[in-house]
Amino acid sequence: MELLILNGLVNGLIVGGIYALVGVSLTLLYGVLRVVNFAHGEFVIAGSFLAFVLFSSFGVPPLLAVPIAAVVFFAAGWGLYYVLIPRLARSDDPELMSFLMFYGVSIAAAALLLLLFEADSRTIDYTFTPVSMQVGPIYVSTARLVALAITIVVSIALALFLFKTLPGKALRAAIMNPEAIQIMGVDIVRLSAFAFALAAALAGVTGVLIALVFPAFNPFSGAEYTIIAFIVVVLGGLGNPVGALLAGVLFGLAEQMATVFLPQAMAQIVGFVILVGTIFFRPSGILGVRFKR
Amino acid sequence: MAARSRALDSADRIYFTLAALIGSVLLVYFASVPLLGLNVAFHFYLMLWITMASAFNVASGFAGYMPFGYVAFYGIGAFTTAILVKKAAFPLFLALPLSGVAGIVLALLFAPTLRLSGIYFGIVSLALAGICRLVITNMPEQLTGGSFGLQLGSRAHPVQSFYVMMAVMVVALATILWLSRSRLGKALRATRDDADAAEMMGVNVPIVRLYGWLISAFFPAVCGGVEAWYTNVVDTETAFNTLTTAKTVIYAVAGGLGTVTGPILGAVAMVWLDELIWRQFPLLNLLILGLATIILVLFLPRGIVGTLLRKKPQWRRYIP
Amino acid sequence: MTVAIETRGLTKRFGGLVAVDKVDLRAAAGETLGIIGVNGAGKTTLMNCICGLYRPDDGGDVFVGGERVTGQAPHVVAHRGIGRTFQVPRVFRRMSLIDNLLVPVLDRKAPDAELIGRAEAMLERMQLIDLRHNHAEELSGGQQKLLEMARMLMPDPPIVMLDEPFAGVHPVLCKFMIERIEETAHAGKAVLLISHDLTSIYRLSTRVIALNQGRIIAEGGVDDIRGNPAVIEAYLGT
Repeated sequence: MELLILNGLVNGLIVGGIYALVGVSLTLLYGVLRVVNFAHGEFVIAGSFLAFVLFSSFGVPPLLAVPIAAVVFFAAGWGLYYVLIPRLARSDDPELMSFLMFYGVSIAAAALLLLLFEADSRTIDYTFTPVSMQVGPIYVSTARLVALAITIVVSIALALFLFKTLPGKALRAAIMNPEAIQIMGVDIVRLSAFAFALAAALAGVTGVLIALVFPAFNPFSGAEYTIIAFIVVVLGGLGNPVGALLAGVLFGLAEQMATVFLPQAMAQIVGFVILVGTIFFRPSGILGVRFKR
Repeated sequence: MAARSRALDSADRIYFTLAALIGSVLLVYFASVPLLGLNVAFHFYLMLWITMASAFNVASGFAGYMPFGYVAFYGIGAFTTAILVKKAAFPLFLALPLSGVAGIVLALLFAPTLRLSGIYFGIVSLALAGICRLVITNMPEQLTGGSFGLQLGSRAHPVQSFYVMMAVMVVALATILWLSRSRLGKALRATRDDADAAEMMGVNVPIVRLYGWLISAFFPAVCGGVEAWYTNVVDTETAFNTLTTAKTVIYAVAGGLGTVTGPILGAVAMVWLDELIWRQFPLLNLLILGLATIILVLFLPRGIVGTLLRKKPQWRRYIP
Repeated sequence: MTVAIETRGLTKRFGGLVAVDKVDLRAAAGETLGIIGVNGAGKTTLMNCICGLYRPDDGGDVFVGGERVTGQAPHVVAHRGIGRTFQVPRVFRRMSLIDNLLVPVLDRKAPDAELIGRAEAMLERMQLIDLRHNHAEELSGGQQKLLEMARMLMPDPPIVMLDEPFAGVHPVLCKFMIERIEETAHAGKAVLLISHDLTSIYRLSTRVIALNQGRIIAEGGVDDIRGNPAVIEAYLGT
């Protein structure tokens, strides 16, 4: 039993790290742009498929796929921003309409992945040597440990970026007070485009990690990650990147522990219940800081 | 003053004439579908989507909510009819209204979410629909049929269910036509535009919202029941398919939220387009549905009717 | 004269901040009570407490026509006979002007035609009649203020509260609105008029109270207030 719990803890940490990244990119998007990216899970899964194509067609190992995904998705995000967002701002209720538009993006992206890769589940047959490592009394696959390491590196880099660099500080300022930052002479359009691109890049990288950590993915997996992203974002407080990181890890742990103690079906419901419960009883998230809107 | 009331009366006359005209065209057209040997399945679903989009309009266009888990009502309705007919041997015409009741009960359970707004409401609605799906999926197999779903048996009767669907559509449209002119409809719209201000103007906001919400939940539940009867089979994957919500929302928005004619027009245009595309490029169907949504939001956020009325505000009095 | 509206010890806190501090006020039918104070003095919070949007703290009470309405929902308080406007107009954006005016009288038994007739008469009075079928969002800011005033008067409430009616309004319209407010008071309504613009307050009010940091610092006729050192201090001091 203890081994099972320890297993749950370690895997919870690994999965939670991934959830944290999924959440933090979505929360950045919401925070800066006030758009709700319903297609976030599809962005993420598209990253998994990119890693899959890179490996199976070009023999590029997943570790190398991480920076490639970052660059590709950053560029794609930058372009997508200019196609989608400026026009959206002109509608009556941009926040709600963004939800609807990204609903469309989500359907289109899933359909596109389906056309390209068909409905079968895919796996990357890449193996690290050794296949698994011993962590205390349990064995964990090397791929998962590598993913965890990358997650930690990316999180630290992101935190340093947000808190130590000028553009990062501008992003945080934009989350807290979008009006003021325009008066300060920051080009909000460029900053938003950058935020969108950054979020897309993070989503792409997360997708590569998912290909490492989870046994398989298919075009329909996107919807699951969207829900997970929502849970993490709400739990961490809408628009709060630090909260999202924390909430992601917490939720990963909770979910993995739930699979240890509860039947599979109940474990799935747990996520939804956490989501609804948080919105009702602690709408500002676990940290209790609601970023000013 | 007298002249103005006369002008008002004539505007009303045009409004109701137009409503009656649209109503009778729909009625005569759909009534003659089975008689003329037209495609029953296509028209059945067209009526279903008109009903769904119109009922969704009550929650979104009138009350200002975006229930992204709208499919929950549809799914509950489908399973209610299936279980009652199959397991409790209820006659169908008793089971269908009970599906509507099930929708209302579910809406009452979800009523606390009405104090949320905007995206919070949308996300919670989505999650609740997910919970509904999971709960029903995990019910005992002898009740819900597990992953195979429930077969209603030899009770299918396409033409009969076609006319029942038509009756449901007519009732839904009549309800919404009434609502749009009624005091409840005005109270709902005021609440949508500014709930606090409406409350301070004497509108009992929670009650008004609840009424709108219940109307909006009743019809999809009945639709689910009728569709279960029509296809003769119900399973959780199709009954709680998120795509049902997606289509409902998109069709309603395409036509224009907040008008009576909007969702009708939107559903007709989009279902027809959907069918056309599906026949030509079955694989591209989903992709085009997604792209259509994006284009709609970006270029026609008020929908067909909404955009027209924006350009011609004076027509608002005449167009239902 | 009967007291139309009265508050006793009305207090409202937000966290540590006391926004309204033991305010006693009363206004009789036909009287215009001016409420002045700098931004943040608690004027709007006071109004929100009176109409039930905020629940008062520390046992403060609101009486309408002698009956206690403290703690009742805003729509209940509204039906007791309080109408109001807002500092930044809050019209029902996507409803026609006529429908905007119908909102406060939706529960009346009178037939629709009669209510619509009254709404049109009201719009006529506010010189908005030609726009009656437009959506409220299509009006200018000043016109929205007029629409709010019409909406406020529609149910014929014995008490009306106007929150900064002249803010951002050009002089011609300002004069028009002042006349409408005078008419309202002459029709026997108790008027609570919030403004930080002293000229219009002094012209319209029969009595004035001055708020500072949520507390009444001066009360009396226009002439008492005009020379009151505490008021001058609050307006011009640090």
